[in-house]
Amino acid sequence: MPKVSRIAAILENLLFFWLGLALILSVAGESLSIPPILQVLGRAHPLILHFPIVLLLMAVVLLWVKDAKLRELGTWTLLLGANLTGLTVLAGLLLANEDYDGDMLVWHQWLGVASLGLAVLIYFYRNKSTQFVKFSTASLALVITLTGHFGADLTHGENFLLAPIQSEEVEFVALDDAEVFQHMVKPILEAKCVACHKEGKVKGELRLDDLAGMQKGGKNGPFVVPGDLKESLLIQRIHLPEESKEHMPPKNKAQLTEEELEILQLWVESGSSFDQKVAELPKETPLFQLASNRFSNQKNYTFDAASDSDIADLNNFFRKVNPVFPGSPALEVAYYGTSAFDPASLKELKSIKAQVVKLNLNRMPLEGVDLAFLRDFPHLEELQLNFTGVQASQLANLEPLESLRNLALSGNQLGADAVEALGKLSQVKRLFLWNSGLDKESQDRLQQALSSAHIDFGFDGKGVIYPLNSPKVSYDKVFFQDSMELILSHPIRKAEIRYTLDGTEPDSLSSPIYTAPIWVKKTGEFRAKAFAADWIGSLPTKDVFFKAGIVPQSYRLAHEGNGRYKANGASSLFDHEKGKTTHGSGNWLGFNESPLELEIFLEKNNSPKEISISILLNETAYIFPPEKVEIWTGNQQNWQKIPETESTQSTKIEEARFGVLTFPLPETGFDQVKIRLKPISKLPSWHPGAGAKGWVFVDEILLN
Amino acid sequence: MEKEILEQGLNHNRRKFLSRLSLGIGSVALGSLMIPDLFNGKQEAEDGLMRALPHFAPKAKRIIYLFQNGAPSQLETFDYKPLLTKNFGQELPDSIRGGQRLTGMTAGQSSFPLVGSYFGFNQYGESRAWISSLFPHISSVVDDLLIVKSMHTEAINHDPALTFFQTGAQVGNRPSMGSWLSYGLGSENANLPAFCVLLSRGKGNGQGVYSKLWSNGFLDATHQGVQFSNSEDPVLYLSDPNGMTRDQRRKMIDQIAAMNDLSYREFNDPQITAKVQQYEMAYRMQTAVPEITDTSKEPDSVVKLYGPDCLVPGTYAANCLLARKLSENGVRFVQLYHQGWDAHDNLPNQMIGQAKDVDQATAGLITDLKQRGLLDETLIIWGGEFGRTNYCQGKIMPENYGRDHHPRAFSIFMAGGGVKSGMVYGETDDFGYNITENPVHVHDFQATVMHLMGIDHEKLTYKHLGRRYRLTDVHGKVVKDLIA
Repeated sequence: MPKVSRIAAILENLLFFWLGLALILSVAGESLSIPPILQVLGRAHPLILHFPIVLLLMAVVLLWVKDAKLRELGTWTLLLGANLTGLTVLAGLLLANEDYDGDMLVWHQWLGVASLGLAVLIYFYRNKSTQFVKFSTASLALVITLTGHFGADLTHGENFLLAPIQSEEVEFVALDDAEVFQHMVKPILEAKCVACHKEGKVKGELRLDDLAGMQKGGKNGPFVVPGDLKESLLIQRIHLPEESKEHMPPKNKAQLTEEELEILQLWVESGSSFDQKVAELPKETPLFQLASNRFSNQKNYTFDAASDSDIADLNNFFRKVNPVFPGSPALEVAYYGTSAFDPASLKELKSIKAQVVKLNLNRMPLEGVDLAFLRDFPHLEELQLNFTGVQASQLANLEPLESLRNLALSGNQLGADAVEALGKLSQVKRLFLWNSGLDKESQDRLQQALSSAHIDFGFDGKGVIYPLNSPKVSYDKVFFQDSMELILSHPIRKAEIRYTLDGTEPDSLSSPIYTAPIWVKKTGEFRAKAFAADWIGSLPTKDVFFKAGIVPQSYRLAHEGNGRYKANGASSLFDHEKGKTTHGSGNWLGFNESPLELEIFLEKNNSPKEISISILLNETAYIFPPEKVEIWTGNQQNWQKIPETESTQSTKIEEARFGVLTFPLPETGFDQVKIRLKPISKLPSWHPGAGAKGWVFVDEILLN
Repeated sequence: MEKEILEQGLNHNRRKFLSRLSLGIGSVALGSLMIPDLFNGKQEAEDGLMRALPHFAPKAKRIIYLFQNGAPSQLETFDYKPLLTKNFGQELPDSIRGGQRLTGMTAGQSSFPLVGSYFGFNQYGESRAWISSLFPHISSVVDDLLIVKSMHTEAINHDPALTFFQTGAQVGNRPSMGSWLSYGLGSENANLPAFCVLLSRGKGNGQGVYSKLWSNGFLDATHQGVQFSNSEDPVLYLSDPNGMTRDQRRKMIDQIAAMNDLSYREFNDPQITAKVQQYEMAYRMQTAVPEITDTSKEPDSVVKLYGPDCLVPGTYAANCLLARKLSENGVRFVQLYHQGWDAHDNLPNQMIGQAKDVDQATAGLITDLKQRGLLDETLIIWGGEFGRTNYCQGKIMPENYGRDHHPRAFSIFMAGGGVKSGMVYGETDDFGYNITENPVHVHDFQATVMHLMGIDHEKLTYKHLGRRYRLTDVHGKVVKDLIA
């Protein structure tokens, strides 16, 4: 097969061509000037390199096999592979002139050349001895693997291959320890920039993998100029449009996020310091704000964690022991349930004394309990002892707690003695002492002793005077037969309730004080107000109650109620069903266009002495007292008009409420009563509906 | 040839099949190594989730959500718009309305006249925040507040908007925010539910609250909000009947437990143990709840702080006080609803009443937590389900007008629990109609609240009907600017 052997011969000869070129370029590559067309070939290196790797490794396998046919195939594969290795090496050497540098490149380069050399050697000595072939092919496989590995490291970054299985230790950075460059800027550079700007691949002659490189800058200028956004190439390049050739990171690579852009810019603006701590920044700067979102304000605890079984043993229905967050060795302990509290259980915390950073004993009765156990909690930072009955003498136990920062002692009657004990707690930064029996002078002394601490003395209510709420009245029914019991109460026990039964406003001096339930015997309007020292008297509670009176023989309404407000006609006026304060509740008869005109027929010799009309008042809904009340008594022939009295009109908008209009009736015998209630014809000028016609609402009429 | 075919057939015998099958099984086993949850039941996956929560160090441990049901007007409270007063009665420009849909209540209105706040505004605190004269007490704690003026929502009617705020979806059946937190973080105090609900009602035009708002949805029923009663006895049926002593109750529960244990041994049904645990919890609640609901030991200054109504059960002030007591006893999420903010007409009058109900008690709650050193770990949220229109609904007068529903911009505030204090976030245009700066969507708000509690809102999920659900559905971005 002459044709085949001719191809083999050409390929064999080519091998020497590659070897020669590789050698000369390796030695003298740096002084080479490469024409653009060859540059393209160089950049094809990452593309073509995969072919020789596959072919050579295939050849290695085939040459190990005993079968002659396969070995023959192996020889051919080796020849082809070696040639492509040559081409790849050549391309690689051309590419090496572009921005690549460093140890990794040297290793990759010489291992690549070595692969070529080995492949050629094996090809020509393949028939020498089985041992030689086996040994040399194994070495070739190894060299190829290493070359590939270093190559990959060059493009993807060091340690690219093994990163996923290496234990990823997420560095937990506390806000207090965080540094602007180290923990905010550097991680961005490492993720998005360093792959191309580092030892071994120094694009634009800029290295970002060490401080010196950053300070030196690149071939186009300085990386950063402290405080100068315009002159800092970093800021310039990241803000160019993404299509721009100069834009960094280059198109198709992972881009910077909004937040990362902001951090880089703020860092340069703030002077691009390499060692500034976040905590040193003023709190209102945007950089600090960004940092406070990223880093935990939890401290980075270095002590050992308590055993899980210890923690589990301590948890029960009344005590919760928890890590401050998952994975943290620091524990917080809270007690719940005052009545289930056993002071002896505090001693059980001994097993986690090194880990407790927060202890909540609020409302647990600690008066007289020995708090010496607290001295063993070296890392306790926050102690809550609100409403525990703790006394000044017990506070000395807190002095050795060096880590204590927050101390809540509200609601304990400490007294002035506590100032001395508390004054020694100079480690405490925030102290809560509301309602702790410290007078103004003690407070000032304490604040002086702990000048750097924030002390909250809270709201003591002294000198602040608010109105009381109205008393509550309760009774059985609005309509009673003979008498009714009224029970008054007020949520504030020391409040004094004064009341009237005639519709007048109670005052704090002359009106009777409520002491026991009141028995009322006749229809009336009830008012009660609450008074107490340090408080403004309340608004009155208003109510009405009716003595159920004589049931008339019959009655007749001249006009039924207007619109929807007809209730059950006139019978609703005598059914002893009180309407609610909503006029649409179905018990109210409403009159607007026409007046209420009612005729009542009574049994002979049973004339009532008094008539009461139960009305509704709700100015918002245009419901006013009647403008005019006219009442006549008589029999078929003689009518007598009761003298009109001026009825009180509303003067402002108030809440919906009940009213009673009561009129005495003449003593002379009569068996009929006529009533006429005229709705207000023009609402007063202060009303939103000024000038419009008002309403009268009545739900009950009582004769007694 | 035939022989070869026969041999070929024999080659494919059972032994070969089985030995090759073993390879297949091996590869399946290998593959399953890469899918850790493949053969695990849901239960275990959830346990794993529980162990991992919170996802990071929380800033807030507990939440008290003061929901202002019915939607208080932002224009009479925190969003000061002098232009509306200046342009009283003028038409809302179409360019501002921008095609915003209307509710059925104003859709028939032929004109949309602008109306400004009846109440004056003043600036308070370090943030110089504008607050109306309705809230003298709230303005006094302005340095503790983070006012967000740029909230917006998707719903325009009460029920869907409320449901959206509470559950992340406008339709019902999703778990409420409190249920998610109970599911994710559990209870701090094993003697109380993790999620409690307190209701109160003002005199203003009210809108209903429904138990679906504190529903556990598809989560386990233990995460449902426990509604406290408005009466003197906030948890009904908790006290022992007259004549029954604690010891007798204990004995009874022990006897029942013993019987339940017998049936558990027979049937092995885990529901039986769950039942026993519930009896035990109820027994413990019998002591835990009265300790909390007893207000008689509150110092006088507390009564002054919240206002004297805090001693009248069922009022907003009483609920604020109760919320503080529940919260300091480790209840993760206390949800208040105060009804009566839906002022379609007679708005100034209604607002006066509503503000009187909530102003002092809200400020009192903040101060009270602060003076106990608890405000840092307790997040307070105050706000309604949407805002109200800048134009008048119904008859217009400077001192008497109404406002319709407005979802595009409204104000809420937060305090404590890791949010920034003394700050106003977001801005609306001069008409108070559209957001011009830093919009915060309801899902963003929810994501932020979860974040404050140490939860990544994208990771707290529950698989239901074949898909994973979360509070924020597929939306929501943590608003980092709000976090201290």
